[in-house]
Amino acid sequence: MSLRTRIAVTFLLLLSAVLAAALAVVSAANRANAEREVNRQLDVGASVFSRLLESNRSLLTQAAQAVAADFGFREAVAVRDVPTLESALENAGDRVGAQLVVLTSLDGKVMAAYGSSAVVGSRFAAASGASAGADAPVRVIVDAGRVFQLVTVAVKSPLPVAWISMGFALDDRATRELASVTGLDVTLAYRGADGLRTVSSSLPARESGAAERVSRRIALSDLGGVEVTATLSRSLRAALAPFARLTEVLVFIAVFSVAAFAWAAFWLARTITRPVQALTQAVDRIRGGDYGAPLDVRRPDELGVLADGLQHMQAAVQNRDRSIRRLAYEDPLTSLMNRTAFAEQLAAALRDPAAPPMAVAMINLQRFQRINEHLGYSVGDAVLIRVAARLRAVPWIGSGVARLAADQFAAYAPLPPGTDPETWGRALLAAFSEPVVVENQPIDINTTVGLVVATSVPQGVPPSPDELLRCAELALVRARRDKRDLCLYGESLRPAARDQLSLLGELRRAVDGDELRLHYQPKIELATGRVAGAEVLLRWQHPTRGLLGPGAFVPFAEQTGFIRRITRWTLDRAVAQGAEWYRSGCALSLAVNISAEDLGDLGLLQRVAHSLSRHQLPPSLLTLEITESGFIDDPDRALKLLEGLAALGLNLSVDDFGTGYSSLSHLARMPVHEMKIDRSFVVGLQSQGEYAAVVRSAIDMGHSLGLKVVAEGIEDAASAAMLKSLGCDVAQGYFYAKPMAPDDFAQWLKGQIRIPVIAVPRNFNIDDVGDSMSLAVL
Amino acid sequence: MSVAQPIIVAVMLLTGAGLVRAADVTVSVTTRGGDSAENAVVVFDPLDAHPAPAHGTATIDQIHKQYVPRVTVLRTGTSVTFPNSDHIRHEVYSLSPAKTFNLKLYAASPPTDVLFDKPGLVVLGCNIHDSMVAFVLVVDSPYFAKVPATGTVVVKLPPGRYRLRVWHEKLATAVVTREVTVADAPTALPVTIDLDPNRDTVAAWPQA
Repeated sequence: MSLRTRIAVTFLLLLSAVLAAALAVVSAANRANAEREVNRQLDVGASVFSRLLESNRSLLTQAAQAVAADFGFREAVAVRDVPTLESALENAGDRVGAQLVVLTSLDGKVMAAYGSSAVVGSRFAAASGASAGADAPVRVIVDAGRVFQLVTVAVKSPLPVAWISMGFALDDRATRELASVTGLDVTLAYRGADGLRTVSSSLPARESGAAERVSRRIALSDLGGVEVTATLSRSLRAALAPFARLTEVLVFIAVFSVAAFAWAAFWLARTITRPVQALTQAVDRIRGGDYGAPLDVRRPDELGVLADGLQHMQAAVQNRDRSIRRLAYEDPLTSLMNRTAFAEQLAAALRDPAAPPMAVAMINLQRFQRINEHLGYSVGDAVLIRVAARLRAVPWIGSGVARLAADQFAAYAPLPPGTDPETWGRALLAAFSEPVVVENQPIDINTTVGLVVATSVPQGVPPSPDELLRCAELALVRARRDKRDLCLYGESLRPAARDQLSLLGELRRAVDGDELRLHYQPKIELATGRVAGAEVLLRWQHPTRGLLGPGAFVPFAEQTGFIRRITRWTLDRAVAQGAEWYRSGCALSLAVNISAEDLGDLGLLQRVAHSLSRHQLPPSLLTLEITESGFIDDPDRALKLLEGLAALGLNLSVDDFGTGYSSLSHLARMPVHEMKIDRSFVVGLQSQGEYAAVVRSAIDMGHSLGLKVVAEGIEDAASAAMLKSLGCDVAQGYFYAKPMAPDDFAQWLKGQIRIPVIAVPRNFNIDDVGDSMSLAVL
Repeated sequence: MSVAQPIIVAVMLLTGAGLVRAADVTVSVTTRGGDSAENAVVVFDPLDAHPAPAHGTATIDQIHKQYVPRVTVLRTGTSVTFPNSDHIRHEVYSLSPAKTFNLKLYAASPPTDVLFDKPGLVVLGCNIHDSMVAFVLVVDSPYFAKVPATGTVVVKLPPGRYRLRVWHEKLATAVVTREVTVADAPTALPVTIDLDPNRDTVAAWPQA
């Protein structure tokens, strides 16, 4: 039930109850009054009625006496001739107006009768006990269904010789007369064999059923054993009639007031509930996210205050909603869309069937990390803002630009028909042909762009934004791998790319989910057989494929650049482990592999220093193994990094020596301490004689450069002995021990003799390191 | 009421009963309450003899709107004169079956005597004075008496069997009837009757 109805109904019910109570009280009082009045009237009426009958009786008695005293009549009686007597009785009856005349002998037998059912010779009950006294009861008799008021007088000649009874019918006419005199309704009845029988009545023949009457019953003397009663009554309704008018007025007033009250209650309730309804609708609207409509409730009362409050709340919610929306959909730095917003907007654009083919690009800023690291984050941020501005200006893009990650952007554009997507890709690249200027400092921006056209993606019509972004990213990865700045997604990219993409996701999960493990393989000093250190080898405890060696995922990680994260993780973990062993009195030199990709990581130096500092591991206990290929990409840059690392006090080792294409000049310039001869030479040592010569030369060359020479992949004693004889310093391989989990390795180590290492703890000043390197790099 | 006494004596003389043997029968009539029943009438009907008809006269006066005497016993065949001693007129009538007559209003002397020629009770009234009532008991027997205030009356009866009938205007019961045998000696005959002073009718006089 609505509030309005409830208010109105409650008050209406209350009012109705009060009115009903008042009416009931008044009605009851009226009724009591009427009943009292009727009873009083009945008292008076009954008294009058009795008087009337009595007075009737005296009149009748006189009339009867006159008849009885008539000499002629007495003579007729004396004659005892029945026909004569009957005629005499008829005459007498007619004379006084009696409808019933009965002459009885002194012993009560009927001598003659007129107007009666009595038979001559039978007993006539009413005859005996003749009464003439004023206080004698009124006598009535029932004869043939009629009721008579009866008087009996003696016929004297001169002593009583007979009784003459004269009866006057109490018929309708008589009762009507009685009724008119008493002012009451009179009903005469007697109790016959078949119950109470009404003889005459002044009541209307047919009275409405509901008529309530108050009555008084008067027993008339029952001659002949028949109970005769006169019922005086008065209709209560008639008595109530004067009050009925009053009640009508009261009812009218009640109905009118209820109607007026109902109208007022509904009106009042509406003035309350209507604004409440408006407020409810407003709340619904706000809940639905519509903050625009103002609340149209202007009132001076509490509801107005509520509406005002709601209006303010709406504004506040709207503001908050806006900022939340911004946070949820916008990159706060560049005000570009984030990935979510981009996906939504792109999806909306793709749904438009009339739109021209949609091109989606993923743009990666090359080496953006370096800018952050060497010029500061504020400069980095400024660069990003300018990049965003440039992207916005690229043809056809409009608002379709998003920043997906620190240095990764995405854009989509509806290409006009006939436009080559590559043209658009070139346009994207061209946006950065000029360096961006931050604080008067020009900074070169190199970008790689992966491109996809929606029509070239078979999955989904239209393809989902996620699918498009994935394809663009695949193109981007391909471009980076091929060292190109632009790649358009094509059918050929798909299968491998899809696997790799999933592999990439798994790798991410592996790092985050701690699925990577480090195993340790000891390095043995060939001359003495003592433990010289251990190489740290990466393993992937894959949830479904089991333990994977680095060959299964490192090349891919290097391709995608993900190797940087892996290396970071490996370094930190190895340093932590080394520090743990170091603290437990087992100083051991640990060698970690660094890929060529890592050499482009500006943060490497700082991270290594950080890690050593954090775990308090002396730098001399850490060796970084670098492949030759790391130099090919950017030899100068790599050299500078190595110099920085060497300056930290680390040991550097050239890994896989003999497989790369590096020139020996590089080797000579590199600040390395050790070279590791590639395992392919060691494996072929026994079978191919020329390998021995190469190995010997390599060892000699290493020694002549002042490097320690390490051989790996030793699987048998013969190889070990041969290497020893060739002057190789250190060896590692299954012949000595396979790579082991840290606990197993520690266990293995207990039975071995280690080369004592003089490890000097060093306090690092990270800032110093960073500064010197930054300058070196730039 | 005491005036009735000489009449009875006269009657007895007339019948000549004195010539034969006769016994004095003393009848004392009392009420059940022990009072003397004045104006009661005793009649002895001889069961073995048939008295001869009589031709006598009698007078019932009207004084102060009353019949004097109020009760009269007559032998059948007696003529009665109804003088009017009042200054007002009276109309004497009877509607009794034994004798019905009507002497129209008259003063002083009635136009005629009335002959009571049938035995029975005759109730007399005045047609214009309802309170005037007289009783005339007409009997065939010569042996009867009206009881005086003393309640005792002597009747001379030849010996023989009789039916005694006792009547009184206020008799509560039917007429008292008794069979008596009179011997040749004085006899006392006490009779007790019930009277109803309020009675306004009269006990019927049964025919012999």
